Amino acid sequence: MPTLPDGSIRVEHVWKKFRSDKTVPLFYEQMVRLRRSVGTRGKSGYRWVLKDVNFDVQPGESMALIGVNGSGKTTLLKILSQVTFQSAGSCTVQGRIGALLSVTSGLHPDLSGRENVFLYGAVLGMGRADIRRKFDTIVEFAELTDAIDRQVKFYSMGMQMRLGFSIAAFLEPDVLLVDEVLAVGDANFQQKCLQRIGEIVREGTTLLYVSHDLASVEASCDRAVWLSDSMVRAQGPTAEVVTMYRTAVEQHSALLTTKEGTVEVLKAELRATDGGQLRSECEAEVHLTLKAPEEVMAGFYLGISQGTAFPMFVIDHQTTMPAGEFEVVCKLGYLPLPKGHYSLWTAITGHPRGTKDPYLPWQPLLSFEAFGPDRMDPPEGVMALSPVYVGAQWQIH
Amino acid sequence: MADLLPTQYELDVPDLSLIPAEPPDSILYQHKVKMRTAVRTLWDHREIIYTLAERDFRAQYKQATLGVMWAVLSPVATLVIFVAVFSRVKQFPTQGIPYALYAFVGIMCWNFFASSLGNGGNSLLSNKALLAKTQFPRECFPLETMLVNALNTVISFIPLALLFVIFGRAPAVATLWVPLFMLIEVLFAAGLTLAVSSTIIQMRDLQQVLPIIISLGIFVTPVIWPFSFIPTKFHLFGGTHLAHHWVGGITVNLQVVYGLFNPLGPVIASIRQTMLLGQAPSWAPLIAAVVGACGYLFFGYRIFKRFEVNFADIA
Repeated sequence: MPTLPDGSIRVEHVWKKFRSDKTVPLFYEQMVRLRRSVGTRGKSGYRWVLKDVNFDVQPGESMALIGVNGSGKTTLLKILSQVTFQSAGSCTVQGRIGALLSVTSGLHPDLSGRENVFLYGAVLGMGRADIRRKFDTIVEFAELTDAIDRQVKFYSMGMQMRLGFSIAAFLEPDVLLVDEVLAVGDANFQQKCLQRIGEIVREGTTLLYVSHDLASVEASCDRAVWLSDSMVRAQGPTAEVVTMYRTAVEQHSALLTTKEGTVEVLKAELRATDGGQLRSECEAEVHLTLKAPEEVMAGFYLGISQGTAFPMFVIDHQTTMPAGEFEVVCKLGYLPLPKGHYSLWTAITGHPRGTKDPYLPWQPLLSFEAFGPDRMDPPEGVMALSPVYVGAQWQIH
Repeated sequence: MADLLPTQYELDVPDLSLIPAEPPDSILYQHKVKMRTAVRTLWDHREIIYTLAERDFRAQYKQATLGVMWAVLSPVATLVIFVAVFSRVKQFPTQGIPYALYAFVGIMCWNFFASSLGNGGNSLLSNKALLAKTQFPRECFPLETMLVNALNTVISFIPLALLFVIFGRAPAVATLWVPLFMLIEVLFAAGLTLAVSSTIIQMRDLQQVLPIIISLGIFVTPVIWPFSFIPTKFHLFGGTHLAHHWVGGITVNLQVVYGLFNPLGPVIASIRQTMLLGQAPSWAPLIAAVVGACGYLFFGYRIFKRFEVNFADIA
């Protein structure tokens, strides 16, 4: 087999099984395994957490792994970093691997920050001389110059995370594997981390990045692999894969609505006021036909989301909800959406908010395409989470 | 570099229905590690062993007011108890060596072995967080624990020296042999620790049984009794029985057999023979010990490498 250039990853037909949750004594299982390796294969309880996963990463590329909890992302990273081994298939990572699977697990609480830099650095694969050379840079990046001789157990969670990330950030490996490490840490530090990751990629390091934070995925990766139910559902350009993933998550979250409200939705429509296509910056109207059992004070909510249950913006209106069938018309003076696929969500709650079970729980009503200019990309390494303001007029018939 | 990359990637949506329920047998992963590769990789990662040992050693004394002083104080305390107890208790024949000194040598060797096995055996479990998140060779954990214990053992040479002073004696020239004997002990302890630590993960019951086995071991090993209690000529069969003795027939050197299974016996005996008595060690049991220790290490390492495949999954 020809050797791959440093910094490439090749994953071919990788399968991984975990022992099932019904616990057989482990030693017994080992005995079975040993016997099986000699004789015929017995079938014991297990489940597959990765099934036939294939992908290639070229040196210098940045690739994201996305998927819901339990879809096998972390397991795949662990296999790549040889923390654990695949059950079938082959998996090659060429060059020096830097695996940041958890930022704080290598830190020892009783040791000082300084001692921990050397400890964690060594554990991640840096030589002592190397660490000594980079020590000041690491401490400065972590913003811990004043606290470096304090025991790590007196650090806040954020400080521990900063220390851990900073050590890993100066590893200079050929392949950097990063697993969901920016979950803690304040906004400023997250931004700094993303910028550092961008720098590392520009220096030619291959990046494999696992995160639930799709904004940071879009900010730092060219390509994405979407894992779902242990299998690769899609791979390709980040934006397209992320959109597919978002749509699936949205459909899933719609099913998660547990409580039925008392208000029935008979018809829902979103259209441009002039009757044409829904375009960026056009005037639009939401038409809802609803049926309510009684006349009460209620709060009406509308929101537009892209791929999550969390709307980009919400508009609300507190008014009297009539009994029987009625129509709600909400005029949006300005549709603040770039080209893309969106969902319209709604809810009707008691008034004042939170006093009663909602008459209509938060749920997606319809999805629609908006036409217009593409979304403008933020500068490299910057997450776009732009707040939107929409003026609106409400009418109840 | 970046200019050479394709800027466009194709969206690939695989057909999930083509994925079989089980992988074909031809691609099943076999975890086979060549001993030579394993040893080379371990050597490349030796710095991690030092660093982890340093971590444990520092953390051990970090918050104690007396700090590293304790590393010296605790063996000295053991020594005081020793001299106090063994000057009153029934003693084994020691060829004119003060019993405290005689027993301390045995206890020192035993302590290293017992703590290596006890802490090292549990080292994979106690380093669970690192085990599941980092990628260096797993044998670093038991070996690192052994290094800490070795350091503590070296420090306990201070009370040993004090004992020599108390009893007005000097170690014999033959003491120069001692590092060799220690090496045999290290090999033996390493082999057993590797095997036990990897088995403990698979079979947690062992974690409960291990302390019991270790506390029994001190009586099975010539720690407080002399190795010469084991006969060099044990009659198996044949020959004639004359006046309570066998004449002729097949005999076996039980010391050799013992040394093969428990290299610690000849090691302790040899240290006493050289350091305390100034004699040459008895070679037959010692060679058996070398063979035994190498065997333990070889098979222990094999077992460890065999089991390592699922450490991170089940630890």
